[in-house]
Amino acid sequence: MERIGVVLGRREATPLEFWVGVEGEGLLRLDDLVVVEGFHPKVGKVRYFGMVDHVAKAHEGESYDTDTFLAVEGKIPVSLAYVAHVSVTRIVPEEFFPPDPGSAVYLAREEDLELALYYDAMKNQRGSTKLPVGFLKSGEVAYLNLEFLNGVKGGHVNISGISGVAAKTSYATFLLKSLLESGVLEEAHQARVLLFNVKGEDLLFLDKPNLRLSEEAKEEYRRLGLSPTPFGSVRFLAPPKKEGEGVLPDVETRLEGVKAYHWDLVQFAQKGLLPFLFTDKGALTNLGFLVAHVTEKLRRLAEGQKGPHLLVADWPEGELPEDIAFDDLGRVRLKSFADLVRYLEYKLLGPETGEGEGDRAWTARQARGTLEAFVRRLRASVENVGHLVRGDRKGNPPDPLEGGEQVHVVDLAKLSPQGQMFVVGSLLSDLFAKKERGQYRGRVFVVLDELNKYAPRDEESPIKDVLLDIAERGRSLGVILIGAQQTASEVERRVVGNAAIRVVGRLDAAEAERPEYRYLPTSFRQRALILPQGMVILHQPEIPVPLLVRFPFPAWATKREEVLEDNSAEALRREFF
Amino acid sequence: MAWRLYALDVSRLEGMAGEAFSGATVWEEGYPASFQPLEEPWEARRADPVPWPEPLYFVDGRERVEAVLSDGRKLALLGCVAAGAVVYQQGNMRLLETRVRRVGVGLEEALRLGELVYEPLPLEGHPAPGDIFTALQEGLRKARTLLEEKLARALAGGLLVVDGPVRLRRQGPVLGYIKVHWARYLPEDREALLSTLKPGERTPMFRVRRKGQELASWYLRLPLTPEGVRPPESGLLRVETPLQGDFGALADLSLSLFPALASHPVKDPRAPQNLLPVGGLERELARRMGSREVVARILARHQDDLGGG
Repeated sequence: MERIGVVLGRREATPLEFWVGVEGEGLLRLDDLVVVEGFHPKVGKVRYFGMVDHVAKAHEGESYDTDTFLAVEGKIPVSLAYVAHVSVTRIVPEEFFPPDPGSAVYLAREEDLELALYYDAMKNQRGSTKLPVGFLKSGEVAYLNLEFLNGVKGGHVNISGISGVAAKTSYATFLLKSLLESGVLEEAHQARVLLFNVKGEDLLFLDKPNLRLSEEAKEEYRRLGLSPTPFGSVRFLAPPKKEGEGVLPDVETRLEGVKAYHWDLVQFAQKGLLPFLFTDKGALTNLGFLVAHVTEKLRRLAEGQKGPHLLVADWPEGELPEDIAFDDLGRVRLKSFADLVRYLEYKLLGPETGEGEGDRAWTARQARGTLEAFVRRLRASVENVGHLVRGDRKGNPPDPLEGGEQVHVVDLAKLSPQGQMFVVGSLLSDLFAKKERGQYRGRVFVVLDELNKYAPRDEESPIKDVLLDIAERGRSLGVILIGAQQTASEVERRVVGNAAIRVVGRLDAAEAERPEYRYLPTSFRQRALILPQGMVILHQPEIPVPLLVRFPFPAWATKREEVLEDNSAEALRREFF
Repeated sequence: MAWRLYALDVSRLEGMAGEAFSGATVWEEGYPASFQPLEEPWEARRADPVPWPEPLYFVDGRERVEAVLSDGRKLALLGCVAAGAVVYQQGNMRLLETRVRRVGVGLEEALRLGELVYEPLPLEGHPAPGDIFTALQEGLRKARTLLEEKLARALAGGLLVVDGPVRLRRQGPVLGYIKVHWARYLPEDREALLSTLKPGERTPMFRVRRKGQELASWYLRLPLTPEGVRPPESGLLRVETPLQGDFGALADLSLSLFPALASHPVKDPRAPQNLLPVGGLERELARRMGSREVVARILARHQDDLGGG
């Protein structure tokens, strides 16, 4: 054990915190872990484990600030005081009496470190639940207790941090890598991941090795018990292009391996996706009622239909199809979302010509103003989701529970805000409904950035309802939300509050002062402002202090330029034959 | 015979250490007939700056009366003495060593009170009843000087600067400096030069003889900011060195040394004469002697043990 100093007597030593005077050449930094032995005749030996959260140096023997100049010139003798403040993380056994001033302080290494960070408690009947989540400052592997992530004792992760310093998305993907490949998560092969790509095309290269991955970084992955490889089983889905024939994925940098996704009208109606087009339903309660009503009507209309087009029997304005089948006789095909909107307009407001009246069965006795507001909003959404909800070919909506791939990346970047809302809301509600019905056994991890958009603190929306459902009930159903946002203060409290694991990257100064970050000690809040790239502060329920964690450079490409081209003969042969 | 605590609050007994004085002007042994200037003419002198010699030692001591004991017939004094050295080397002023001793002047055997142990220091001679306090303090002062001497002997090479007159015997150069001027060394006609000395100037050297010791001495003026009303001797330092070796060079060196180390009145009530390193050393010594309050309380608590002896 390396002796680093002694417990100071000039300042109070308590069972929860004390000061350490660093001796001689000793080096004690923020985040270093220390251990002190205490003794009391009635209790016996007690060991205090703690983490350094403040370090300071000062000249002793100076009475005035200007004495420093004299000390530098060699005119007065001074001694250098190097002190550190330690927050106690654990006392073994749990006897809360203070350590004696003058007790030797040692750096906590190996077994001591494991005790200090409660690693010894991270296990269940079947084995260890230590999930590697990066490196401590000392270079040792940092772990978190998987049982607080997979839903056994707690679930959900919340990541905060400003954009552009590689904290949120990078850390979320790294966490996934560890979850899926470290072998700590039981039946990891059954776990599924739904990853929303909200910005750029960062996540569309998860399956490609990173060109810039250095040897040291590879070594780091090995030390974490992971392979320095990209994700092995990924499916990429992107919305189709708005113009042009056919359904081609609307992506720019990644040209192969991406499939376009869309819903057909029958799916739209059967799954009841209409509410996800109305993200401000709280603004008008009548409108919300109408939306629910129309959704139900559409669901009934689509009953038994196979699609992709929706057949309606009572619309004089639609064209009759040429290749009409016997079953379809007397019915009109809705072949696009625009058609559907026009049909609904007809059903609610009556024929376009003249002051007709809508179908009573559809209008649900709502005032004409409400009906018009509904139709107006619906019409406005045609431009946004017309290419996502179509009647011209069989729908192919993303479904992370199907197919052989483990990770499903759903691109939202090019969609309008309304389109993004629609996709996220539809996918999550569908996923949650399936898990509720018990259709899939394995765990599902959902990674969603910009939570403040989908679950804002002040507004109501159907997506927020789904997210709240996941946050509050998802844990028991095996749906784990890995949410991220720039500012946790703008996200619904219950969504953030249900996350057992909190991660903080670099924060904005004003943001760091908000009550959402009170769980961080002051020194960590200050440091959150200056966190460098690749570092996050990780808080987990069992450990009373947060850990500053460094995670390795991504082993997968995060943009086109980083993709390591495989030009080996083998790869080329596969490509051409 | 049992001792009992006579006084704990002995602050009024303190502050007498230093150069002895009896209220009036003290005349130097043989003054004024034996006044012998060592340099001519009698006028202010300057010198070019020279680098400080290395190592450069400063030795100083402190004493403190902690209690006075009485057994009904005799008095004994419990005190603490400390001495320490700092060294200037390679641009750094570094604390070298400190020694702290607790002594009981007038005690015949060691006295243990709680964790404090006072070594016995028999009283010399048979002082008259009226002078007993002075004699006890003299004993304490002697203990301090002994400690300083012991410390100084261990310092090899270099130049040694001591606070007060040169009383330490040492191989190699020594400079003593006197901050307060009770004794008069100069005839009146020569004293006029003192008030005209400018900062960084010194008087010529003159010979001083004390207790069989031959010394060279001179006055020098420290830089003192002109604010406030000050007596003419403020900022005046008398320096002495044994009359041996190249004492002239030491006199010139003192002009580079002492003004640079003069303290500032804002920080030190004894500025500028109380030199910076010595001020720092004194603070350190005071600390190592322990809190006087704590010591007084330990003594008070353990006064029952006094009867044991």
